Amino acid sequence: MDTQLKRRLETAFGDRFSAPLRQRADTTEIWIGAGDVTDVMRTLHDDEQFEFEVLSDICGVDTGTEMWVVYHLWSPRSPDWLRVVAAGLPRDDPRVPSVTFLWKGAEWGEREAYDMFGIVFEGNRDLRRIYMPPDYTSFPLRKDFLLPDDAARSPGEGFRHVEQSPPPAEHRRRPVVRRAKLAPGGQVSTVGQLPDQTEEAPE
Amino acid sequence: MTDRSAVRSLDDPNVFVEMPATIYDAVPPYPPRTEREAEFYHLRDGEMLINLGPQHPSTHGVLRVVLKIDGEQVVDLDPVLGYLHRGVEKICENGDWHHAISNCDPLEYVASMFSEAMPVMAAEKLLDLRVPRRAEYIRVLCWELNRIASHGLFIGWLALDLGGLTPLLYGFIERDTIIEMLAALTGQRMLFNYLRIGGVNRDLNHDFLSRLADWMSRAAVEIEQEARLLNENEIFLRRTKGLGVLDRDTALRLCMTGPPLRASGVPYDVRRAHPYSVYNELEFDIPTREEGDSYARYMVHLDEIRESIRIIDQVLHEMPDGPIMAKIPRLIRIPPGRAYIALESPRGQYSCYAMSDGSDQPFRLRIHDPSYFNLQAVGALMPGNLIADTMAVMASLDPIMGGIDK
Repeated sequence: MDTQLKRRLETAFGDRFSAPLRQRADTTEIWIGAGDVTDVMRTLHDDEQFEFEVLSDICGVDTGTEMWVVYHLWSPRSPDWLRVVAAGLPRDDPRVPSVTFLWKGAEWGEREAYDMFGIVFEGNRDLRRIYMPPDYTSFPLRKDFLLPDDAARSPGEGFRHVEQSPPPAEHRRRPVVRRAKLAPGGQVSTVGQLPDQTEEAPE
Repeated sequence: MTDRSAVRSLDDPNVFVEMPATIYDAVPPYPPRTEREAEFYHLRDGEMLINLGPQHPSTHGVLRVVLKIDGEQVVDLDPVLGYLHRGVEKICENGDWHHAISNCDPLEYVASMFSEAMPVMAAEKLLDLRVPRRAEYIRVLCWELNRIASHGLFIGWLALDLGGLTPLLYGFIERDTIIEMLAALTGQRMLFNYLRIGGVNRDLNHDFLSRLADWMSRAAVEIEQEARLLNENEIFLRRTKGLGVLDRDTALRLCMTGPPLRASGVPYDVRRAHPYSVYNELEFDIPTREEGDSYARYMVHLDEIRESIRIIDQVLHEMPDGPIMAKIPRLIRIPPGRAYIALESPRGQYSCYAMSDGSDQPFRLRIHDPSYFNLQAVGALMPGNLIADTMAVMASLDPIMGGIDK
């Protein structure tokens, strides 16, 4: 745990934290809102007291109630990983500013997060799907995208995934999986859910 | 209403398209989706598009690259990924933590000892688990052996893409010796499935150790022989020196890691930058080069093989006795939390961001693959080079499609 880094971070961005700074093992974690991403990341990258020059990872997270974008940074000035969480993005329209102006290489990381979660990175010049085909409409890593025919936990009913929009009439007879239920903690529990064969698709 | 004459998309039955997208057309059958795509597919005088892959041997897997060329010169290029996409992250979320090990195995199919370590180390960090020292030493031993096997193959591939077949055969001899050795230890030649949460699967056995001792007695000499084959080869030098040059700042901004970054003069190696396992007890250097071209990347790989042999030597001398597994139950429920781990694979930094909600399955297992971010650099390296050098520069970045497409 790097207590000096904690002090420096609190001095620089203390008023912008949306949750208190946390430190555990070798990671320091700060929480900010989507609006502060540009400023905070620019300061972390350019300011010589931070000098976070390596963007170690960028990824999206769907908690079931909201979306996050999580950045991991590395600096020669600190023994800790710095995790910056841009939390509280609404699930129906998650938007966050792009960091490609600092790290050009974040472009593909952001494309992946867009492809998998539908998070829109404003300012990314090339925000299109990267893994899934161009005419694909769902976002596979979202928590309401279930895998009913996953070999690990069901005998397999032979359909690939659950569409977000109701299927057209000729596909109406397919079984539909219930949407994931929200656990009291605000997180989706997908444990033990199997396709409900009796339920018909909603009109 | 949708047009009935349109074709139903193969990927999504709700979507109708004018013409299904095929892999054969360089120009996509739909209007540009982004600014960059519009710019790329707009041709000026004398420019044309050609399609490389997805099954071209020099793309090291199923990578498709659309090249925009002017004569023999590459003006721009657009890599198209996803032909090998399996959704490993989603599959991991739907299996339990032990399944994640074998699911992550085929990501880096040339050095899978590294990719299978990700979920293991993430789970250990979430559990605050202390792995027995002997298990840590065995892990380091396997990692470094696998690194040598992978780097040997890299040198062969690079030479193959430049038109030389012999180094590939030498690379495979080296790799086969190591792979057979690891097979004696783990029971598998390629996808080892050897690491476990809390330790490793089996202890060192006689077969493995005798093969290892046999190989160690001649490894250093063989590496130098292999190096002599290429180091001063006129054709090799001409086709790698000064090609695909990346400076320090660009490499950092492109989020590159591993040998391509160190060849640009940044001594960033996770084993030293953020030590994990027992690497802080071992003595080794981080080889770097300043030139940042294909030749520098090749030389960094070669130096890393030498360093790995040094590490293996120390590990064998200091191998402690003791258990190889921590005492944990077979069925584990990992406490809620978030953990980030990183490790240095032959291609760069593999890292994993894991979230647990207290069940026996990962809530989110983000896998950061180094080849994915390194491959991105071809867009910055290619413009101005000849088509024939595209393969050489791409090979010097050492992409593995299993990890890129996840």
